[in-house]
Amino acid sequence: MSSEDQASPPGGPRPVRGPEPGGHVPGGGPGSPQAVRTWEKPRASLSEVVEALPELRRQAAGQESATRTAVMTLVMVTSTEDDYEGCAASVRSLGAHHPCRVLLLRPEPDSTPAIDATASLWRADPPAGDGHPVFFEEVRLRVGGQGASHLASIAGPFVLADLPVVMWFPGHAPDPADPLLRLATAVVVDTRNVGPSPSDIAHSYRALLELANNQPVVDLSWVRLQPWRELLAGLFEPEHNRRFLAGVGKAGVRGKPGPRHMLGGWLMAQLDLRARELSLEDSKHVDITLVATLDGEQGRFQVSRDDGTRAVWAEAVLSGGVSHRQALPLPDDSLASALASAVSDLRADRVWERALAAAAALAS
Amino acid sequence: MSTVELPVNVLAEGLDTVRRAPPGVLVVFGASGDLTHRKLLPALERLSRRRLLPAAFAVVGVARTEMSDDDFRDLMADAVADAGPGWAEIIKNSVYIAGEYAHPDTFSTLRDRLAEIEASLGTGANRTYYLATIPEVFGDVARALGRVGLNAPGRGGAARLVIEKPFGHDRATARDLDAALHEVFEEDQIYRIDHYLGKETVQNVLALRFANAIFEPLWSRNYIDHVQVTVAETVGVEKRGNFYETAGALRDIVQNHVMQVLSLTLMEPPGSIDAQGIRDEKVKALRSVVVPNATEVPNIAVRAQYDSGWVEGNAVPGYRQEDGVSPQSQTETYVALKLAVDNWRWAGVPIYVRTGKRLPKRVTEVALQFKDVPHLAFPREASRGLNPNALVLRIQPDEGVTLRFGAKVPGQAFMVRDVLMDFSYGAAFLEEPPDAYERLLLDAMVGDPTLFIRSDEVDTAWGIVQPLLDTWGGGGAPLSGYASGSWGPRQADTLIGRDGHKWRTP
Repeated sequence: MSSEDQASPPGGPRPVRGPEPGGHVPGGGPGSPQAVRTWEKPRASLSEVVEALPELRRQAAGQESATRTAVMTLVMVTSTEDDYEGCAASVRSLGAHHPCRVLLLRPEPDSTPAIDATASLWRADPPAGDGHPVFFEEVRLRVGGQGASHLASIAGPFVLADLPVVMWFPGHAPDPADPLLRLATAVVVDTRNVGPSPSDIAHSYRALLELANNQPVVDLSWVRLQPWRELLAGLFEPEHNRRFLAGVGKAGVRGKPGPRHMLGGWLMAQLDLRARELSLEDSKHVDITLVATLDGEQGRFQVSRDDGTRAVWAEAVLSGGVSHRQALPLPDDSLASALASAVSDLRADRVWERALAAAAALAS
Repeated sequence: MSTVELPVNVLAEGLDTVRRAPPGVLVVFGASGDLTHRKLLPALERLSRRRLLPAAFAVVGVARTEMSDDDFRDLMADAVADAGPGWAEIIKNSVYIAGEYAHPDTFSTLRDRLAEIEASLGTGANRTYYLATIPEVFGDVARALGRVGLNAPGRGGAARLVIEKPFGHDRATARDLDAALHEVFEEDQIYRIDHYLGKETVQNVLALRFANAIFEPLWSRNYIDHVQVTVAETVGVEKRGNFYETAGALRDIVQNHVMQVLSLTLMEPPGSIDAQGIRDEKVKALRSVVVPNATEVPNIAVRAQYDSGWVEGNAVPGYRQEDGVSPQSQTETYVALKLAVDNWRWAGVPIYVRTGKRLPKRVTEVALQFKDVPHLAFPREASRGLNPNALVLRIQPDEGVTLRFGAKVPGQAFMVRDVLMDFSYGAAFLEEPPDAYERLLLDAMVGDPTLFIRSDEVDTAWGIVQPLLDTWGGGGAPLSGYASGSWGPRQADTLIGRDGHKWRTP
């Protein structure tokens, strides 16, 4: 059925468009979502946008079973065009893993007061080519004028009832007092996005701690660092090695400012280390080393990524002769993949909060 | 070494380490065989790729085939295309022992090599013995492990024995096997695999029943008229003719897969979703199934063998023309049963089971057919297209749930007809679930027996099918034929038709 055959939603929007390529999505692979139907209208009212969504599904139902599948509403707020386009692709890819209604808000307080709206129905196919496609909705709203300061009133009508609402503010942490956050079940942040100076880091992390006091926060950088944390923890699983945890006297973390401070904070908080027992160094890739002594025996535990390889290595060498190495493929570190992992568990992470507090103190 | 209590691994806090294997060694008997190459090694590599194996981990292969450590390492590498970097480390740690399963030297060598690995890698005393061998040597291997003390868990570790079906050829041989295993291993050390239970969608039966308040109140004789369980395959015996001749559909599918699906469908809600809670309730459900006596067998069971025909557009031979099959074979490739369950929940609800090879479609499903409404207020003409409600749990291949209910046909007239509300797991979650072997291997190494079959479950399931085996083995029931590509013999239609029902077309 062609889009021209369809009755337009009220308000005289531009015609609904048929299938169009979704473009390459980082980490998306062969299952990259495709836009099935699109509706757009400048100077739209919110009720027109809300009504357009079931209309898109009704039109697509003639061709395929475009039933809605959703596990959450994801709201992304950004004010720059680059963030808007780049992150939209990642969020879209998320729809394939965690089918959700996506609301992209672009506040422009200095523009003409109006809402320019685009609503699309997207389709993600299973990677193997068999099974059922997943259909999800994406709503983009450019909000000009004073409305840009009242995003909670704009996002509200698009939130799916009874399902979690995840808020993401790419490039910056939200103001903990923002009323929009009252809609949120959890907020996505990225502790990698910090200035280079210790005072920038301390300031950013203290703001995140305040945010975390109010609601669960999930950190994209913490998700990306999980393989390092898992591998280091895994080195202490053998009974013999475990005892060395009480004897860690020296720890070193190398990496970029955000990750090295978070991992340093994690080690301090979990191992009860003093600041002078921890060294932080700048490096392209993350590397953690712990040196421990127990009953005269020394153990060196290291997790690192060699430059140029796509693997993370973990190694324990004990002076008593026991040693082992483990390597893991570096997981897909795309934004889309980190976001997909981050939203799979929306509970508050107390270990992360302790690491953040210690990192803030470390940077102060 | 200090004797202080082992500290908590504080670095693991917040990481999901519960489902990760602890440091240990996987000893695979039958390491040069097809199951190891095709299933176990690829499953292990995927576990490594998913970060579910520890750094201190090794595989010890044991088999009769003469092979060096390096040959075995090559075999491990060959078994997995595009392996991740972690696989190379596991291969490096792994060794091979060539020897007879009945020979004491094989096991003393194994003991010594395990000690070496545990000293050099720090794997502790966690040992999982996987018997990927023919079932006839299960008892020999278990006893030999016991003779060198490898059956006993070392300090702080565990010794677990994993075996795959078939668990015996009938109830008596299953009991003999259990007795042999129990000579040296405690029941809680024995992990009996039915890979059906490793399937995500079989586990979803539990989620659907016990995580949703809307289904459970309907799940009884008060609302359900009858239950149909279908396990249909399109394939024939393939290259397993020799094996299948000694098994047949009753042993190969009904005694294990069907009984597992049935017990999950019939069981009472467990107090907790853990190994003991679930397995206790499964056994109670199976014990409630009425064991038929010999005189009842002809009335409640049909057996049949496929003839030639067409399946999925291909001409296929009859069973007796297959390689390794006797031209006079009396082995059944199809079974239909009517079972009764004597308990408060299911009394009076017939359970119809059918399984067969060379059927039109590969499908496993459990269909709960609800009773008619007590009084239909619509004129007969208006409700011609209306059938009783049905809830269908689709286990494979299109995993999901279908609910059939009545809805008004749009228009001026008040016509009512059936509609299907269809939920597909694949449409809600595009995530690839773990392969059954991957799931079960990890569970065995972690020490979670929930998805493994306990001795009393095996025995109870054999108890249900034993009267059929006895009757059929004694030539006490005719063997029907059915065309390949059909849904089975007409006698199966008669079996269910006597109660006024008919088989669903999945």
